[in-house]
Amino acid sequence: MAEDPQRNFRSAYYEKVGFRGVEEKKSLEILLKDNPLDVEKLSTFSQRFPLPSMYRIHVWKVLLGILPPHNDSHSLVGGYRREQYQDVLEALKVMRFVHMATPQTQVYLRMFQLESQVLPRRSDTLPPDEEDEDFLSIARAMEEIVEDPMDCYWLIKSFVNQFNNKFGDSIPHLPKSLEHYLSVEEPRLLNHLKNTGALAMLPYSLWFRRCFAGCLPESSLQRVWDKVISGSCKILVFVAMEILLSYKIMVMGNSRPEGVVNILCNVSDVIIIGGSVRISWRFETFLLCLPITLLCFLLYYQMPQENTDAIVTKAIDLWHKYCGTPMHSV
Amino acid sequence: MAREQPNVGDLLPLLESSDIHQLEEIKGLINEHLSTERGAMLLNGLVDYFLETNSAQAIHILSSVREPHDKHLLDKMNECMTKQACRLPTLTLLGHVVRKQPSWIHKIARYPLLLSLLKCLKTDLDVVVLITGVLVLITLLPMIPQAGKQHLYEFFDIFGRLASWNLKNPGHISEVYLIHLHASIYSLFHRLYGMYPCNFVSYLRSHYNMKENVDTFEEVVKPMLEHVRIHPELVTGTKDQELDPTRWKKFEIHDIVIECAKVSLDPKEASCEEGYAPMPGNFYPHLELRPQESVSSPYTDFHNSYGSSSSTPFSTPRQPLPPPLSLASLPGTQSLYRSPQTSRSPNSSCELDTTCGVKELWSPSSLCGMATPPSSSGMSPNPELSHSASHLPGHRVHSTSGGKGTPASSTPATSSPPHTLSDFPIIPLLSNTTSPPQKDDHPVEAAKPSLVKQEPIRDSEKGGEVINRDVGGGETISMTLSVFMKEQELQQRTEREETAISEELLKITKDKRDLAGVRGFDSPFYRTTETLTGTQEKPLPNLPLGGPMPPRDPHHAVSTSDNELENAQGGIGGGGDSSTGLALDQSWSIEPVCPFSPIQHPLHQSLSALEDEVAKFGGLFSPSHPMKKPSLPYEALFDLALPRAASLFVGRRTSEARGRAALEKLCQRQEGLEDREEEGKGIVSASPLEVLDHLVQQGSDTHDKVLKRLPLPSKSADWTHFGGSAPLDELHTLRSQLLLLHSQLLYERYKREQHAVRNRRLLRRVINATALEEQNNAMKDQLNLQSVDVVTLKESLQVEQQRCRQLWDDRETVVTRLHSQVRQLQQGRDDYYTKNQELQSQLNEYQKKMNDLEADLQRANNKVCHTGHLLNQMTIKLSTSESTQQQMSFLNKQLLLLGEAHKLDVLQQQHTGSDNTKEAQMVQVSWGKEVERLRQSLLQQGQKLEAAQQRVGELETHLTKKEHLIVEQKKFLEDVKGQAKGELQASESRYQAQRRVTQLLQTELLHLYSRLEMEGHTCPTTASAAGGSSTDPGPPIDSSIMEPDGSVTLGTNEWSDDRRPSQSPRGNGSTLLPGKPKANNSPKALPVNSASSTQDIPPPLLVEPSFSCPHAPLATPMPPDAAPLTVGSYPSANSFLGMRARELFRNKSESQCDEEPPPPHLAGLSQGLKTELCVEPLFPPLGNALTCPVPASILGAPLTVPAKEHLPETRQRAIKQESPRRKMGGARGGGAAAASAAQPRQQQQFRIMDYNETQQEHS
Repeated sequence: MAEDPQRNFRSAYYEKVGFRGVEEKKSLEILLKDNPLDVEKLSTFSQRFPLPSMYRIHVWKVLLGILPPHNDSHSLVGGYRREQYQDVLEALKVMRFVHMATPQTQVYLRMFQLESQVLPRRSDTLPPDEEDEDFLSIARAMEEIVEDPMDCYWLIKSFVNQFNNKFGDSIPHLPKSLEHYLSVEEPRLLNHLKNTGALAMLPYSLWFRRCFAGCLPESSLQRVWDKVISGSCKILVFVAMEILLSYKIMVMGNSRPEGVVNILCNVSDVIIIGGSVRISWRFETFLLCLPITLLCFLLYYQMPQENTDAIVTKAIDLWHKYCGTPMHSV
Repeated sequence: MAREQPNVGDLLPLLESSDIHQLEEIKGLINEHLSTERGAMLLNGLVDYFLETNSAQAIHILSSVREPHDKHLLDKMNECMTKQACRLPTLTLLGHVVRKQPSWIHKIARYPLLLSLLKCLKTDLDVVVLITGVLVLITLLPMIPQAGKQHLYEFFDIFGRLASWNLKNPGHISEVYLIHLHASIYSLFHRLYGMYPCNFVSYLRSHYNMKENVDTFEEVVKPMLEHVRIHPELVTGTKDQELDPTRWKKFEIHDIVIECAKVSLDPKEASCEEGYAPMPGNFYPHLELRPQESVSSPYTDFHNSYGSSSSTPFSTPRQPLPPPLSLASLPGTQSLYRSPQTSRSPNSSCELDTTCGVKELWSPSSLCGMATPPSSSGMSPNPELSHSASHLPGHRVHSTSGGKGTPASSTPATSSPPHTLSDFPIIPLLSNTTSPPQKDDHPVEAAKPSLVKQEPIRDSEKGGEVINRDVGGGETISMTLSVFMKEQELQQRTEREETAISEELLKITKDKRDLAGVRGFDSPFYRTTETLTGTQEKPLPNLPLGGPMPPRDPHHAVSTSDNELENAQGGIGGGGDSSTGLALDQSWSIEPVCPFSPIQHPLHQSLSALEDEVAKFGGLFSPSHPMKKPSLPYEALFDLALPRAASLFVGRRTSEARGRAALEKLCQRQEGLEDREEEGKGIVSASPLEVLDHLVQQGSDTHDKVLKRLPLPSKSADWTHFGGSAPLDELHTLRSQLLLLHSQLLYERYKREQHAVRNRRLLRRVINATALEEQNNAMKDQLNLQSVDVVTLKESLQVEQQRCRQLWDDRETVVTRLHSQVRQLQQGRDDYYTKNQELQSQLNEYQKKMNDLEADLQRANNKVCHTGHLLNQMTIKLSTSESTQQQMSFLNKQLLLLGEAHKLDVLQQQHTGSDNTKEAQMVQVSWGKEVERLRQSLLQQGQKLEAAQQRVGELETHLTKKEHLIVEQKKFLEDVKGQAKGELQASESRYQAQRRVTQLLQTELLHLYSRLEMEGHTCPTTASAAGGSSTDPGPPIDSSIMEPDGSVTLGTNEWSDDRRPSQSPRGNGSTLLPGKPKANNSPKALPVNSASSTQDIPPPLLVEPSFSCPHAPLATPMPPDAAPLTVGSYPSANSFLGMRARELFRNKSESQCDEEPPPPHLAGLSQGLKTELCVEPLFPPLGNALTCPVPASILGAPLTVPAKEHLPETRQRAIKQESPRRKMGGARGGGAAAASAAQPRQQQQFRIMDYNETQQEHS
């Protein structure tokens, strides 16, 4: 590596001091310079290191197949994508599924539905179901991350598709593996959760079906999604575990699920404004049967950035610890 | 029970029944009733009965009343106490009850009875009541020590009141009563002082500080104080302390009594714990002297031995007989038991001295004898004796005159004389009848002597026995004699006594008055002197009587009898004194060994004597019994309770009275008392105490009778003689005195019982102590034995230790030896080990060497092999060389031969010619030239080769380059492929999206149309109006929809007609068209579709190919055909809406056209295609490659076109003909066709609807 002429000769020193980003950025740039992009290398890189935010969208696009590996065709494909996006959007507009006032995420949802051929008749539009909700929250998060609506739509669509295709089967097993890792890491907490019955009430859907969309602030979420997009859903488990661990003391202090709920309420004083609508219907659906879920949701919906950054960092460390660092040569 | 109630009440009078069995029955009945009945009825009845009749049985029953009835009893008594008349009997009853010490007696303090008793004592003026009450109180005090404390000052008040009576005499009672009263106060004083010293002293201090009481103090209280020593409590205790209930907890009743007695200096009142038994009456006087004459008396009293020793000296001066002094002084430190003897000795003759001396020898042992027997032995003799005594009343007079000891002691003394009395009639009879058996004689003749002497006989079966018997025989004789004498003297004596007594009385009273201030009349001194003088005065008559002085126990009785015997003997002739003395000596010395015999015998004998007496001589002598029985014991008892002088005085009085009565009413009594004899017989089975009480009562009754019958004058004469009060008063006085005596007797008896109880306890302690001592000794012995054992064990231990040590040493040596051996062995082993190691190393070396050698060997072998091999080769070579040598030789030979031949040739040649050389030269030159040429050509060839080789190299590099290039190209191609694939995918997705959009739009459109149609249905008029130019009026709706444009429809109809036969293939094609995309998925659908289409051909009247299709869609979707259908319906939409829809569609179709290119874009012809498609649908090569949507659009185009542009028919046809082909091509066109696979189903449905509509139209 050191001999690599393209690499900074200070790289060793950087790493020693802890500025890993410099090297990583360089490596990523090198990777991105390849004409047919090596998607596998990119995903490995993404799994190993945090992506520099300036390349994040690009890398995501490549990883999600929105852009082909060939740089040359990027513009062409980009054009295609844009046209497709516009066509679909136009069609929706014509059919009056969307209009100017429709929130962007809703538009994305309709587009996605259209493309997946599940767009309901306009006459019998139903309130969004669970899956739509997941999509919406992911879309919301993505909207925050990506500025260009076209890119955003494509990223959302590809992300959701990829997530569902790739991890659709393993998601139901994630709570189990969370339990397992928790038992390894902090059995006391696990016991406490089990005893209080809070374990079953944890917001798994929020965590695992939405990949923490709406739970973590976007800056932290990006880093999680880096891993998810690069092909690992295990990271979700570790993030969830890290969340539990970081609120362990407060959770442990309470024996009742309601107590846990209270803690959560105290921790997060932010209830995002945009979520008010959803909260309202969430109240209808969950509040009665699963108050903990709701409140956990409320808690994790938006956590303070500094906390979540630390949480995510720790979670990634844990993930590396348990699942091993992907050793694809960079 | 209720029924029995009256019966029981009625039974009460029967208590006096003479029949013993009946009496028992009644008693049992009453007791049973009492035990079952809870009510107070019967008890009250009993009390009333007692108050009426003074029945002893009632007393007996009442005093043994059990717990639940105590309340009733006490209440009843309290009630009776309020009545003046009943007071005395009630008090008597209370006394009985109290003396019985029932378990509930402590409760009395809680009942009002005590209060009323105290009140009575404080207020009553009847002296008899008072005395009885005081006695009861005194008896009661120890029983309720704690409860008494609240009434303490009442007690004191009572004391103060009664004490002042002596001087003031507020009741104006006779002095006789005063004496009684004084005695009882004295007792009360002792009791109070003993129990509550501090309080009492403080009371005395406060009470007698008052002026008006000073006299009383001087007269009454001070003498009393002189008879007590300082109570220790006065020093250590306080007023509160002595009232503390805990103080009394550890005391039993008798303990309290003894405690009280301890502080007394009065020998009558005091108790000497060590000496145990109260002193005989005779001795007391000597003791009594001391307080008056010596200051140290308390001490002497304290120490009994001193007291005894010191008392005798004092007493002797008074006594006429010096020997007792010497005798008494001799024993010195011996116990008081001796002193009675000594004191008695003065009464008896000088011979007694010897007996006294003898007694001194045995008395300690007798003491032991007293102590050791069980309590019954200690107790029983006295009652027995007293009992017997009570039955023998003849002696009473003597006893009263002479015996003034304790009541208990006096009775045995009196018992013997009765025998003599009774015996003297018996003896003759007995001697006549049963003289031969000497043993019988003894009991009958002289109970006590025989008693004593039988023991010697039994215990010491020696010569003494014979002597005793001889003596016994002598006794009988002497006794009879003495009895006769007595008998004769009896009357004389009584008379004489009477006079003497009266005289003495006078003298005593005088003395008393003289000495009252100085000594107090209670000083026993006078009495003793009196008795002494009395005895001295009447030696003869008193000899038998005075002799039996009051001994307490059988020994004393024995002694008395002995005295009597001796007296008798002395009286007769005094023969065999020494023998008796010797015998007695022996007997007494042995006596302690079997202490029981004396007890048994007296009982037996007394009983037998009594029976005999009753049986035989009751008639004769009984009169005397009743008369003297009652009086005598009381007086004897009274003596103890009262001061000596008073008792003497009283005794005199009573005896006097009795004597009178006896003289006067002897006969009457004899008659009347036969009944009582019978009664006595009945009583025999009862307790002696009861008998005694009974006797007392009988005596009093008879006395009453007698007194009543007495003529007043005689009485008055008697009393006037003494200057006494009126006879009636006198009678009354006597009676009440009698009562008092009885009560005092009972009181004293009670005291005695307390002592007995104490005795028993002390005995128990002594026994325990000795047992413990024995145990101690045994344990000591054991200890010694064990210590010996220990010593031996220690020795053995030492021995064992030594042995052990030795063994240890041995072991040590052995161990060391073994150790050394071990060491040696270890050394050896080490040596061996080293050697072994050396050997091992050697072995290793050898092995190494061996290995080396083996290697060498191997090598050698190898070499050998090699050499062998070489050898073989060499041999082969050798053989070959040999063969070559042979060849060589052969060749050499040939060479030689050839050489020779050559030579020959050369010679020949030389011979042959020289021109050959020229030729040869020429040949040579030519050869050279040729060589040169060949060489050149060779060079040339080499150059060529080189060039060729270079060329080859070049080519090869070229080749590699080419290959490289190819690879790169391939890579690039791959790249491009990937890129294209990516792009393709993107476009694919875009296309998909486009399709979705289109589908959606179509569905939307259809939806809109359906809605429109629905509206059209509802308002056909408007539709027709909109249709405007529609020629066909028949089918209003459908036509308007289906055939908006007449020309077009016509045209189409024509086509359809023309192509009817060919419709089916087309239809098939049309069905296949949608089916084709499906075909990739489900090719089976194809035939079905075709079949259905063929079947359904006739119905579709519409010429439009689209209408042929609707049948198929039933099973399979036909997205491409949707276009024709829409086209078909398009014309109908001539209305405004239709126009709009068309426009829309057009836009869409255009966009569709725009979007069609994607499939061709692969070839980069998308743009071109679009135009081509628009312009010319025929595009065979491409069309094949095109997907089905293309024909669909093409199909759609012509339909739309006619409406707009009127495409040439030919072209349309061409298109239509092409379509089947296209299908084939489409089928071949694989992937592209697959893209159009999915078409929304809604369209089918719509088509079906259309179809239905057309059906309707047709029908």
